[in-house]
Amino acid sequence: MDQQIIITVGREFGSGGHEIARQLAEQLNLHFYDRSMLDEVAKATNVEVEFLEKYDEKPRKLFGSRRVGAFSNSMEEIIAELQFENLRQKAESGESFVIVGRCAESVLKDVKGLISVFILGDLQEKVKRIQERYQLDEQEALFKLKRHDKKRKQYHNFHAEGKWGDSRTYDICINSSRLGIEKTVELLKCYVEERIRTF
Amino acid sequence: MAQILAVSIFVVMFLLVVTEKIERYIVTLVCGLLTLLLVFGAAMQNMDAIIETLNVKSIFTLGFWYTAGSAEESASGINWATIIFIMGMMIMVEGMARAGFFRWLCMKLARLVHYRPVFLFLTFMVMSALLAMFIDSITVILFLAAVTVELAKLLKFDPVPMIISEIFCANLGGSATMCGDPPNIIIGTSLGYSFSDFILNTGVLAGISLILVIGYFYLIYGKQLKRVTVSEEDIAKMPDPKEAIRSRKDFIISSTIFGGAVIMLVTHAQTGLTVAYIGAVIAVITLLTAGKDAWKLIKKVDYKTILFFIGLFVVVGGLEQTGVLEKIAGLIGSISGGNLIVMAAIIIWISAVASAFVDNIPFAATMIPIIKSLAAAQGADLATLAWTLSMGTDIGGSATPIGASANVVGTSVAAKNGYLIGWGRYCKAAAPATVLVVAVSMVIIFIRYC
Repeated sequence: MDQQIIITVGREFGSGGHEIARQLAEQLNLHFYDRSMLDEVAKATNVEVEFLEKYDEKPRKLFGSRRVGAFSNSMEEIIAELQFENLRQKAESGESFVIVGRCAESVLKDVKGLISVFILGDLQEKVKRIQERYQLDEQEALFKLKRHDKKRKQYHNFHAEGKWGDSRTYDICINSSRLGIEKTVELLKCYVEERIRTF
Repeated sequence: MAQILAVSIFVVMFLLVVTEKIERYIVTLVCGLLTLLLVFGAAMQNMDAIIETLNVKSIFTLGFWYTAGSAEESASGINWATIIFIMGMMIMVEGMARAGFFRWLCMKLARLVHYRPVFLFLTFMVMSALLAMFIDSITVILFLAAVTVELAKLLKFDPVPMIISEIFCANLGGSATMCGDPPNIIIGTSLGYSFSDFILNTGVLAGISLILVIGYFYLIYGKQLKRVTVSEEDIAKMPDPKEAIRSRKDFIISSTIFGGAVIMLVTHAQTGLTVAYIGAVIAVITLLTAGKDAWKLIKKVDYKTILFFIGLFVVVGGLEQTGVLEKIAGLIGSISGGNLIVMAAIIIWISAVASAFVDNIPFAATMIPIIKSLAAAQGADLATLAWTLSMGTDIGGSATPIGASANVVGTSVAAKNGYLIGWGRYCKAAAPATVLVVAVSMVIIFIRYC
């Protein structure tokens, strides 16, 4: 593929967005980045990846950090910025990839070959998926879903220009509960191929 | 009713400032407006309190700009002298930064010590303290931390020990003078103390503490830095200090203005020039000599901080006018039983602990009327309480990564370059140093003044 394409995938917790992004990357033969991007940041900063994971895709805590003008010492903000910088460098190098989360649709908004996707899902479907994946009962799964989505939303809306989950923020929003994971991947693949023709 | 309203507004303001949900200047301005409308207007129905708190009249008095003999004591409310001085310093410092003064100074000193990490470490600590005596610690750390990271990358050593030490010394240097740290400017202008009053009191405390702190940081970090070897090849790669100077003419002008500002500040008790006058003069000279860049310098002023101060002074004015702070002073007075040693111990430790976690500017602004009231009611020496408050607020801020602005800037600059400094690593080094300096300062205050 000569043309650089970067597919950003935002997702609701439990929607299968991560799996959809992974399969899409595999089928399009693109690099795939998610939490694994922290490994690169950990290597560059000489810090344990477990330490970084504690602050990944989370909003800044109310206490424990401060901002002075453009300077912040919030670990959540610092780690987000380090990942954004890593993303920008990858984009500048001409690499094509699929990236999950990390406000990528906003960070890379000026990249010509950018396709932004948001995956949502029906509540029941999402809860079921979370129950299966984490071995939780319904209430626990619902609680986990709400907690994660709240944090993702706060994190996204703090760093990005558009609102998290708002259809106007993305090129395409899909409810994965309608077609299931595999068919959603197929649909997105068709969409991406059509979009590439327009670049 | 007025007291309840004033305290409620203050508490809400403090919480909102700490949580940073809303920009802090908006918080203090809105809370200041609420103080004027609800506390002074609706509850007290006292127009005089509003006029006294806005304090605009004071600017048009001779004493605001020039005092024959001793320094002028400011009335309560908005401390315009602090605001004008800080604005003047912001403009001058921006002029110096544009000319490349700070980067040149750092690089020049690094070259003088042949880039040997241990010497860099010691020299940068002293330079940080000396510069912070006259320039705001944010600017000092912004440049020092950036150069430290640059040198660390070239010489392949961990810059974090140096950055933590520099931050600590910048806060310590700031405590030495009237213009070094915002709490000191507010204390000095509110209570009528001069630059020399500070240097002879907090300056001595800071000087002794600096020697101890250099020893302390050398003890914990010296070994690590000694292991770093610097080859001739590394030195050859270093940037020439001259490259930092963007314009020779601007460099000479800004250095001269800085020198003039230092002389005016050091001698202001003798010349009668107030800090408001000095701030205004250095701003005007910087702008006049900047030519077409003057507008750029004006635009660079941190207006948000200026507005933050204005709102803050009004809210604290509300507490003062309603007598809330007198009650707190009465409480401290009764706990201490009028004993100056106990009062000093309470003030220095409460100030230090509070400043370690919350912005020390609102804290100092609130404490000033309290110590004034303590001195009036209990007969305690006001100057002793002022130096105690200054050391507590200035030094306490060093203990945690969020205690002072310099800490935030230093740790943020390090993080942007890939050197993360968490609470654990920061506090492990800085908290014991803070306890050491606060304890030593307290003992010296006991011996010298009580």
